[in-house]
Parts: sequence; structure tokens; C-alpha cells
Amino acid sequence: MAQPQTQIDERVRARHQARGAWARQLGHYLFVVPALLYIALTTIYPIVSNLRMSFYDVTVTTFLSNSAPFIGLGNYRAVLGDPAFQHALRLSLVFTGGSLLFQFTVGFALALLFSRPFPGNGLFRALLLLGWMLPIVVSGSIFRWMLDGSFGIINFALQGLGLLRGQRFWLTEPDYALLGTIIANIWVGIPFNMVLLLPGLQSISPTLYEAASIDGATGWQSFRHITLPLMRPVSLSVLLLGIIYTFKVFDVVYVMTRGGPVDATTVLPIYVYNLAFQFFRFGEASAAAILLLVALTVVAVGYLWLSRREEVA
Amino acid sequence: MSTLARFRSAGYGRMLAALLFLLVYLFPVYWMVATSLKTSAAIFATPPQVVPSPLVFSAYSVAVINNPATIRAILNSAIISIGTMALTLVLAAPAAYALARLRLRGATVITLLLLITQLLPAIVIATPLFVLFARIKLLNSYPALILANTTFTLPFAVIVLRPFFLMVPAELEAAAKIDGCTQWGAFWRVILPLVRPGLVTVAAFAFLMAWGEFLFALALNTNEDVQPVTVALNKFIGQYGTQWEKLMAVSTTIALPIIAIFAALQRYIISGLVAGSVKE
Repeated sequence: MAQPQTQIDERVRARHQARGAWARQLGHYLFVVPALLYIALTTIYPIVSNLRMSFYDVTVTTFLSNSAPFIGLGNYRAVLGDPAFQHALRLSLVFTGGSLLFQFTVGFALALLFSRPFPGNGLFRALLLLGWMLPIVVSGSIFRWMLDGSFGIINFALQGLGLLRGQRFWLTEPDYALLGTIIANIWVGIPFNMVLLLPGLQSISPTLYEAASIDGATGWQSFRHITLPLMRPVSLSVLLLGIIYTFKVFDVVYVMTRGGPVDATTVLPIYVYNLAFQFFRFGEASAAAILLLVALTVVAVGYLWLSRREEVA
Repeated sequence: MSTLARFRSAGYGRMLAALLFLLVYLFPVYWMVATSLKTSAAIFATPPQVVPSPLVFSAYSVAVINNPATIRAILNSAIISIGTMALTLVLAAPAAYALARLRLRGATVITLLLLITQLLPAIVIATPLFVLFARIKLLNSYPALILANTTFTLPFAVIVLRPFFLMVPAELEAAAKIDGCTQWGAFWRVILPLVRPGLVTVAAFAFLMAWGEFLFALALNTNEDVQPVTVALNKFIGQYGTQWEKLMAVSTTIALPIIAIFAALQRYIISGLVAGSVKE
């Protein structure tokens, strides 16, 4: 941040020194204080009160009277021992893994396609982002309709291709509901992965590929030995970001299945939502939310550490 | 052979591949619009009608135009989204400026805090916000939803805006102060007009995020007079059952402002997405 010391700078500095460095610093902080205060009140305070609530037996009766008894780690024990929590955790892992695998590979392939100029590149890329821009409730409704068992176009297409006999009620058959929500979530996430991976690909110097092709490397060899290794740091941070964003997905699943049939798609965020807003077991909901938060914070720290290191390099 | 080489170097092969993918990828959007223009009988045609015939607008007239609940919900969404956008800009612009320009002690910590806030799951904030709003009697109101939405638009906005302020030459600010501007005056009259593209990006994003927001609206509000379109649509899923043309008409209506904003501001939005790498 070294800046040339111009005369103007000197004069401004002299004037400001007269007013006192302390007052100036204070004046500067006034620019950030509103935003910080806002975050303190609407994000940090809620999280702290969430943490506090997780140690108290807050239920619908004790909630408004503010008289919940302290029960230490009781809520955590209850949540961790709850088979429904373990089930939700497993579903979340499958949902996240399945979504990311396809979002990332398709996104990567598209980024490769879009990394070289061709007529319509900019327009096509913008159109692709439409899938990501649509409100999730809208995308979820569209996929609900397309995955409909009786008249859905996806069943019709699969039948036409000979891949499906009879009907499949994607979102109401317990064995297929999660897959149905994963399909919709993959669709939503592909452009996001593509747009984040593209700058990484474009930053690889073309001279590397030229040199490789002079040495007789095939396209696959160039990809395997230049593209893949050089894209590893970017890919890792996109994947970590993907884990964070996919693990907390609520709306896609809620709109498509409400977590059902029964609990076939009750991923962790829906489990927490149900605890709090269906059963009003706020203490346990807070404990589950804190567990979710801790897990994602670990991933987030990894992501931030990685992206910081990239910035330095 | 030379034709093939020319075809390849102009990138037509890639163009074809991209076009093909795009047609498949955007099919769900087409299917939404097509379904919304069908009669209820045409919905259940086998094989499905790829192009609606006859083309009718009855689903829109029943489910949108003549349905006061939908109209009300659209209005609510507009109020909540514009409110979120305004609050975000007012809070984020000075903060981003200070973090970019004013060499604050603790700037790194603040930036880190913003990055982490941006990654938080909404459900973790929703429960305690519900408790907080219940105590101060703010549930079921526009301010509740605007305040909640701004928790995720604000950190995003600051992160996206900061680089825009970094690009403004420092001399301009110094010159403004020589001319007698205060720090605030320099920011307001000289710097802000220069970062207009950044402000547009952030405003568009705040609007889009608030327009599509679902969890807070579901958890913090049970009042139909305040309910935004996202929750209304979710209710219609139960109400309309398998009347897909109506559901898709409402969906298309909700998507329209998004598509319009996106078409008008696509350049800003893509740069913002890369800068903030975020999606709620």
C-alpha cells in the first residue's frame, strides 16, 4: 500500500494533525460502526443467545416466561443421541456429496468449454446463470412438476429412452425422494461452480499449452499434466465453499418434499427447523444449530485459510 | 480439411456444444413458461405437449391477476426487497469505504468477521432471531423480514464494494479535502458517485437475494398481509395440488422481475458473483 507522498498529501496531513490523530481515527470508525453494530445485534447476539439457549431447557412453555432451567449439556446429549439427528446427518452428507460431485464436474467441464473464445460466449454464459438466479422456490416448484409421477416430463423422457418401466413417484417414494432433491440442487449449482472455476482456468498461461503441444502432448496429456495440477488450489476452495453452501441448503428440499415422505429428505437444516418451529423445542434446536455451525465453521476456516494463501501466492 | 480447420479456429465447435448444453439446461425454465400457458386439460396430455396448443392465459388470470393473495404477496415482496436493498446500501457503502481507504486498526479482523458471517447457515440465525423478535414484538412485520434479510446481504455487499473503493485514486479524495470537504463530504460528494457500478451491483444483488429469500419469511412471519411471494408460492403448492399450470403461472410471475433485472444488469451481476462468490 506504499503511495507516493505528494505535496497534497503533506498538506492534508498537516491540517489533520492539528485536529488530533485521536479525533480523526474516531471519525473514521464512524463509517464502520453502523454496519458493525448491525452485525453485532442481528448476527452475533443471536448466535450468542443461541449458544446460551442450547444449555437451557427452552420449550414452548418456558420460552415466553424466560424461566427455562439450566441443564448443561442435556440438549446436546439429547440431540446427539436422537436417531433422527443421526439420520439427518447421514442425509445431509449424501445430499452434499451427491450434489457437489455433479455440480463440480459439470461446472468444470463447462468452464473448460467457456475458457476459450467462441461466438456467443458471453451471451451463453449469461443465459446459463439464469438457472442460478431464479428464486429457489421457483426452481423447486419446476422440478416438483417435472419429477411428477403421473405426468412429469422426466418420467416420460426416461420411459421413451427405455430407462424406466411404469411410473416413478420421485418425490413421494422414500428411496427416490432424496435423489429427486439432489437432481434439482445440481441444476441450481452448476452455473455457480462454472463461474467460479472459469477465472482460474483463464489465468493459466496459454504459453504452457503451446509449449506442451510443441513437445507433442495430446489434449488429454495437457489437461492431465497442466490444467489439473494448476487448478488444484482453485478447485479445492470452490469445493470447500460448495460444502458450506450445500450443507446449509434448506429451501430446495423444503419446497420439494418438506423433508418427507416421513423423514426421507429431512436434512440437517430441516431437522433444526422442525425442532424449533414444528415442535417448539428451542433448546434442542439451538444445540443442533450450534453443532451445524461448528461443523461448517471448521470448513469455513479451511476455506478462508486456503483463499488467503492463494492471495499471497 | 481447411474448412474444418477454419471451423475449429473460429470456435464454432465450441459454440455448438455450448448451445446444445444450454438448450438442455434451460429446458426447465422453458417448461415452466410453456406449462403456464396451457389449459388444465393439456397438462395431462400424453405424450406431453412440448409447445402449448391452444395457447391460453387463463392460469395467469385465475392464479395471478384475479387472485388478491398473489397480488398482495408480490407487493409484499417488493416492499421487503426494496427495504432490504436500501438498508444494505446505507450500511454497506460507508463501511466498505472505510475498510478500503481509511487504514483502520482491526480492518483485517472486521473483514474476516464479514467473510464468516456470510457463510453462516440461515437456520442458525433464524431460531434466535425468532426469539428476539418475539420478545420485542417485531414478529410478523416488514421490518422483521428486512432486518433478517440484511444479515446476509450486508456482509456480501461490503465484500463486493470494497474493491470498487480501492480503485478510486487517492488523489481525488485529498483534493476534495483541500477544497474544504470533510471526510464525510469527500465520501458523499466525490467518492460515492465514482463507485456507482459497484453500488448498482450490490443493489441488484440485495434485491435479488431478498426477492428469493424463503427461510426467514417462513420462520419469522405467519401474517398473510406481510407474506412474500416465495412463501405464498409454497402455500399454493398445497392449495393448487396438481393444477400445475396455475403453479407455473405464479412461478413465472415471480421469476419475471429476476429475469428483467438480470437482463438489464447482467454485466454487473456476473462481476459481483465472482467478487463475492456467494449464493444464499
